[in-house]
Amino acid sequence: MTEQIKPDLNFINSVINAGGESLKKCYQCSTCTVVCNVTPDDKPFPRKEMVQAQWGMKDKLFGNPDIWLCHQCSDCTAYCPRGAKPGEVLGAIRKLSIEEFSVPGFLARMVNQPKFLLVLLAAPVLLYTLIIASQGFFTDGVPTENGKIVFGKFLFSLYYVDTVFTAAALFAVFSLYLGVTKYWRAMAAANGGVSSGDFGKALSDTFMDILGHNRFKKCEVTKDRATAHMLVFYSFIGLFITTILAFARVIPEYIHHLHLSEGIDVHMLDWLAYIYKPIGNVSAAALVLGIFLMMSNRFKNQGKAGLGSYYDWLFISLVAGVGISGLLAQFLRMANTVAAYPTYVAHLCLVFFLFAYAPFSKMAHMAYRTTALVYSRQTGRDTGN
Amino acid sequence: MAENKKVLVIGGGFSGLTAAVETAEAGSDVIIVEKTPFFGGRVTQLNKYFPKLCPPNCGLEINFKRIKNSGDVTFHMMAEVEKVTGQEGNFEVTIKVKPRYVNDKCVGCNACAEACPVEMPNEFNFGMDKTKAAYITHNQAFPFVYAIDDRFCKGKACGKCAEACKYDAIDLDMKPQTVTVNVGSIILASGWDPYDVTKLDNLGAGNIKNVITNMQMERLASPNGPTGGKILRPSDGKEPKSIAFVQCAGSRDENHLPYCSFICCMASLKQATYLREQYPDSTASIFYIDIRTPGRYEQFYWKVKEDPNVSLIKGKIARITEDPATGNPIIEAEDILQGKKIKQAFDMVVLATGMVPSTSSSKIPVQVSYTPEGFVMPATLMKGVYAVGTLKSPVDVAKSVQDATGVAIKSIQSVRR
Repeated sequence: MTEQIKPDLNFINSVINAGGESLKKCYQCSTCTVVCNVTPDDKPFPRKEMVQAQWGMKDKLFGNPDIWLCHQCSDCTAYCPRGAKPGEVLGAIRKLSIEEFSVPGFLARMVNQPKFLLVLLAAPVLLYTLIIASQGFFTDGVPTENGKIVFGKFLFSLYYVDTVFTAAALFAVFSLYLGVTKYWRAMAAANGGVSSGDFGKALSDTFMDILGHNRFKKCEVTKDRATAHMLVFYSFIGLFITTILAFARVIPEYIHHLHLSEGIDVHMLDWLAYIYKPIGNVSAAALVLGIFLMMSNRFKNQGKAGLGSYYDWLFISLVAGVGISGLLAQFLRMANTVAAYPTYVAHLCLVFFLFAYAPFSKMAHMAYRTTALVYSRQTGRDTGN
Repeated sequence: MAENKKVLVIGGGFSGLTAAVETAEAGSDVIIVEKTPFFGGRVTQLNKYFPKLCPPNCGLEINFKRIKNSGDVTFHMMAEVEKVTGQEGNFEVTIKVKPRYVNDKCVGCNACAEACPVEMPNEFNFGMDKTKAAYITHNQAFPFVYAIDDRFCKGKACGKCAEACKYDAIDLDMKPQTVTVNVGSIILASGWDPYDVTKLDNLGAGNIKNVITNMQMERLASPNGPTGGKILRPSDGKEPKSIAFVQCAGSRDENHLPYCSFICCMASLKQATYLREQYPDSTASIFYIDIRTPGRYEQFYWKVKEDPNVSLIKGKIARITEDPATGNPIIEAEDILQGKKIKQAFDMVVLATGMVPSTSSSKIPVQVSYTPEGFVMPATLMKGVYAVGTLKSPVDVAKSVQDATGVAIKSIQSVRR
């Protein structure tokens, strides 16, 4: 079988610019596939991805679940005899694949480039400046409840928080849905049609793998990453539960405010706070600890695994920022300091950044990687061994 | 005219011997300083040369004879150069000579070795067998005078060798000596060492018995080696019927040796013929990144490849583990042309380890710069000092000899200026 290859030079350059500078050093010895503990034995990665990227074979790379089966353990990078850093190159390809599939694509291109950072950050900052100005807080000062700082009072109950974030979250979910379905179709097209494998089982096996971090645990050089990622992962789940319960708590207030039921006791669900506050605090602490471990692991392993790209660090900084600003806002509120307000607004801006740009930032890995893992399970490419 | 017409050669391997005899036969006095008790260096340890597959004694023996016949070559064995002062035409060289404890009265009768109660690892055979502390490396060693290794010998307290010697050849009172010589030119020919396998952690780091190096394979196949030339695997003495060769075991690898060691592909192809000749039903599998058989060596590659029991698999072996039940090494590689990861047990594995210049670990006390890997940068050598062969780059015996002959002319020019 002969296949005419037309190298896509732009794509090769974009991989190089996206953090795969070392791509061209690869001389195809396949040390990487051998030391990789997470690759299947048949058509193993990352050697084939390295040659595909060198030849600019974009469709082969993007229609391939393997780029996401890779968990960037960096065993390949550590043992690579040429310093070609396959782990970093695959990271760059993943970033480009998010850019390829995400909707709208221009946002992904902005998230990927440092020069747009301020523009992206300006959106939530402007939004909250307008909200705060419209409430007259700049001129009249911030309200308190009997001299006590209450964030709910500050932003007109929590309407502005809830509506903005519900909208941002819905946008993110819808955009991610569009992105992963495009990816799924691309994989099916590259592999000659949709698999007849058991989708439900593939899905449940994948979730068990993710919950247990089974693939992460196979890493050798960066074995500490499993712990750090697990902390961040479970703290996100904890914070998600916290958010849902906190929202549930104010539902009676919404009902009252919208005159849906005049006699409702607006405090009837206040007891939920006893559940979500401990969960929230523990999760926030775990988040900060986990992200700190991630940073220190990256510095510790930079000689063997590389330090990572702007894309990686934007996401890491954002998560760290969210955790730290959230905890700080709470402490300042408890200390009844006016500084609690700007800290809280900074926290909201960072959370907005995390939510609204999730389909385009490294946060999107959770959707694309899960999709690729499910696809690989369904097609039998990944058997979990 | 130079004040001193003598030439000093550091190293008594094939390069040093060649440089010495060529220089001497052109009429200059030569002094050889050799670190070990015997001449011949790495070549003596080989079973056969490539590509002609003749034993190393053809070549070595001629040079030994030339040294014996020429009255112009003197040598210091078990000696190292400590200090060099002066300049081209007039160097003063301080040489430290370690005691051999055996004098020239030795006839090589082996009585001392028989009497010696101390066993030590046989370094000549890369530790694959033991030898006595009073020893000779093999039956064609030159000079054919036994040596006593004082790292293991118990000295006069034991003295059994001296009692056994009928020729009064053993002198356990010998002391280290310092010799000063004046020469007009210096040739550096201190050769190479095999790469240290303990650094190859993913290839067993020297802890898997049936994973040996290519130099150990030479000794295993050599008639004067630990098994008398029969290839037997170290763990249980079994005849290995399947051997995997790991090309670039450390070479072409920026984590180890960031250069091609030049000889390993030819060495493995050659060693595949050792195995195939001894065991007709055996198989040799050579795992490579690229087979590099430069120049006319290509024909040797074609010839070995014709054997259906020799397979060449594109894909580097990057992991070796041991099957504890059988002692078989299990290799992992990707067969790149098939796109499949292989995990396969072999009776034995040979690591094609590369060449490290001896100057990587022990520097020569002359003014010179080295590459980061320890190779001599010839242009930085002081006038009147020349480096040969593997000190500058990994090369085979033939190229070392050519280089040594060229350097002989240079050194003669130095002493006649």
